[in-house]
Amino acid sequence: MIRRLVVSLVAIVLLAGGMFTANLVAGNHPSLGLDLQGGASVTMTPVGEVDPAALSVAVDIIRQRVDSLGVAEPEIIRQGNTIVVNLPGVKDQQQALDTIGRTGAVEMRPVLKVAPNPESTTTTSTIAGATTTTLKGSSTTLAPPAGGVGSSRTAAVTTTTVPTATSPTDPATGLPEGQTILPGRKDGLVYLLGPAEATGEVFSNDSSAQVDAGSWVVVAKLRSGAAGADLWNKLATKCYAGGADCPSKAIAIILDGEVISAPTVQTPTFDNGSVQISGSFSQTEAKDLARVLQFGAVPVKFDTPTVQTVSASLGEDSLRAAVLSGLIGVLLVLLFLMFYYRLLAIVVVGGLGVSGLLLWSVISWLSKTNGLALTLSGAAGIIVSIGVTVDSYVVFFEKLKDDVQQGRTLRNSAARGFERAWRTILAADTVSLIGAIVLWWLTVGSVRGFAFFLGLSTMADMVVSYFFTRPAVLLLARTKLFNKGRVLGVARSTTSEAVA
Amino acid sequence: MAGGISRLYRGETTVNFYGRRNIGFIFSALLLIVTVGSLFSQGLNLGIDFKGGVAFEVPVSGSMSEAKAKEILTTNKIKTDNVKIQTLTSGSTQRVRIQLGDIPVATRTTIQEALAKEAKATVNDVSVSTVSSTWGRNITTKAIKALLIFFLIVSLFIAWRFEWRMALSAIVAMVHDVGISVGVYSVFKLEVTPATVVAFLTILGFSLYDTIVVFDKVHDNNERFSGSKVSYGDIVNVSMNQVLMRSLNTSIAALMPVLSLLVLGSGVFGAIALREFALALLVGLATGAYSSIYIASPLLGILKERSDQYRPMRGHLSIGADMSHLMHTGAPVGRRAAARAATEESQGSVSAPLAVETLLSHPPRPRKKSRR
Repeated sequence: MIRRLVVSLVAIVLLAGGMFTANLVAGNHPSLGLDLQGGASVTMTPVGEVDPAALSVAVDIIRQRVDSLGVAEPEIIRQGNTIVVNLPGVKDQQQALDTIGRTGAVEMRPVLKVAPNPESTTTTSTIAGATTTTLKGSSTTLAPPAGGVGSSRTAAVTTTTVPTATSPTDPATGLPEGQTILPGRKDGLVYLLGPAEATGEVFSNDSSAQVDAGSWVVVAKLRSGAAGADLWNKLATKCYAGGADCPSKAIAIILDGEVISAPTVQTPTFDNGSVQISGSFSQTEAKDLARVLQFGAVPVKFDTPTVQTVSASLGEDSLRAAVLSGLIGVLLVLLFLMFYYRLLAIVVVGGLGVSGLLLWSVISWLSKTNGLALTLSGAAGIIVSIGVTVDSYVVFFEKLKDDVQQGRTLRNSAARGFERAWRTILAADTVSLIGAIVLWWLTVGSVRGFAFFLGLSTMADMVVSYFFTRPAVLLLARTKLFNKGRVLGVARSTTSEAVA
Repeated sequence: MAGGISRLYRGETTVNFYGRRNIGFIFSALLLIVTVGSLFSQGLNLGIDFKGGVAFEVPVSGSMSEAKAKEILTTNKIKTDNVKIQTLTSGSTQRVRIQLGDIPVATRTTIQEALAKEAKATVNDVSVSTVSSTWGRNITTKAIKALLIFFLIVSLFIAWRFEWRMALSAIVAMVHDVGISVGVYSVFKLEVTPATVVAFLTILGFSLYDTIVVFDKVHDNNERFSGSKVSYGDIVNVSMNQVLMRSLNTSIAALMPVLSLLVLGSGVFGAIALREFALALLVGLATGAYSSIYIASPLLGILKERSDQYRPMRGHLSIGADMSHLMHTGAPVGRRAAARAATEESQGSVSAPLAVETLLSHPPRPRKKSRR
């Protein structure tokens, strides 16, 4: 028993310390938001006349692209007819451009297997009866050199040649590396896909939907060179051969985790730099697909964006004030707890230390990997969360005090008290976690950032309560010091007074 | 022997929260009426992030600087608390960008001219454009939808973990907290920024957390008293007194950092941006702590007293020494005594010291001699 407690205590302290040092060594540190540190400001001017509705769709899509995890808190503003994207913490102008212009949202993967989606039908039902087992864009053919679209070789409009296999095994596990299962956007199918071998960048930005031999087709131009045509041809050759890594001979075009189209390859190489995708497209479908290939999903075409660095709107002073007053606040809380729970307060100090290290590590790591940026309200939110974290200790210590007052030994009370407090903490933290998950899942912008920090600090609270506070108090309760007199601020004598 | 504080310290207070529930209800009802009235008459003061506004861009030349820009705004009687002033750098050229809420066209021209003069540039060098909100309608819609779903899931969770009456009470308390916090913003015309929204959400979380902790105690006591005929009002009362110290401690612990942000951060160190955020949190935390005691728990009592199990005992409240007896023994003073207590005839009938056996739900295990 003692051994398990010691192991848990040592493990959590080592984990927190290890994560902290690892981040320190790697040079990760929390990056600050636009209000505190500034960043890069990218101005994007649309080409030609723009429909305001399309512009606001573009804003949403850019937001999603810039802020995939929802924690970077970029500012995206429509200023007149232009879109201004302010990215926190980005000092390098090229980096800013890469973030915005990333067309990585579109990728190409070989199709391994196709099956009807068991939980479909709720997908956007622009297509009546989502149960059709035919693929939309089901054949890819080589279009003639740019310009002469009308005279293109007739595209064999084949319905799917893909075997309609039974539902693949467990989607979460058991897949070879790089493979994944994604739903089709509108066709009610699920696709088992091989590793991504090309991105939307193989196409240049002038795909279009055209009428060819009476039906709608999409024509996309390939970029020349290694990153464009060569990459695409490699994939096409492989799929045309129909080997083990592309048995269906189809290439899936994926946007944001959904298969937009999975055309079958009709020719091993595309030598003249353009690709024609045909199939039973309606006009809108063809236009949608062309747009996806063109911009990812942004419905507006932009000039080359300009980048400027932007200074902080609040500045270091505010941060310093927040941190300083926050620290004083925490100190006051600790003093109060020390006054109230005496020596037990050292457990709180230790616990806050451990969760502080954990949070710092996670935030630093996400700053590096996901562009997370701490705004002033984020920093203040963390300070406030300390108050809530302290509550777990208060709940525990109050229950412990109850038991000691009823005449139990400290050792006994600590174990019982934790058991009861843990149930309370678990119930209350679960509710917070539900809130965090729902809000994170369904919202964008600063609400999402908030939800993220709420979830993070709630989880830290649960981990620290169980793996640090519990063993620490249980172990301390066995020491001589803690069983002497009133060091705990736990009045054991009450029982005898009441009995007297 | 024991003063109020010392009894509080030991969790032995016998405050009749449930019996005085109407005080809390009336107080809250008044506040909510004021909130609704204020929302209808003057609404909320939404900041630039919600409404959009105007952006000026001035080249940094002459004596132009961020501080100068602020001065110009102040001389034109514009509050600079929530104005965003930033410097844009691109290569060697610098521009100052000023974003502020909607202003009349006349003021706009005046500011444009003043900025141009300061920068020793022509008026055309100072660009003025309208800016959309950074927040956007889309974010609001999504957030509201998410909140509703959150309410639903949390209700289901509480209903499953505890019971549906608790779920209902907790949600009502939560809505109450947000209502009052919004009311404070509306009445005092404080500017609503994205940070405020985040603060409100923090309040929701805190209020809910607090309520769950209280309800967990009620739930415990519910089981403990299930054998004896105790009215639900009594259970609520006993539970509230038992968690009173914890509630106070937690509230103090949560309020201290916020107060520090408010007083030290924005007052002493002068970070004005912190002020409104801290204020929203302060109001919200206070209402959160208040509502779990004065709204959520009494409401639960009312709902529960109407249920079949507790209807016979409805209206019986053990107060004072009777409550303390109930708290320690887990049994009411005896049917007759309870009846007398209810009619407030009993005086000192249970003041006799309690035997140690009755103080414990079960006696402590004797210490083993073999171990230290």
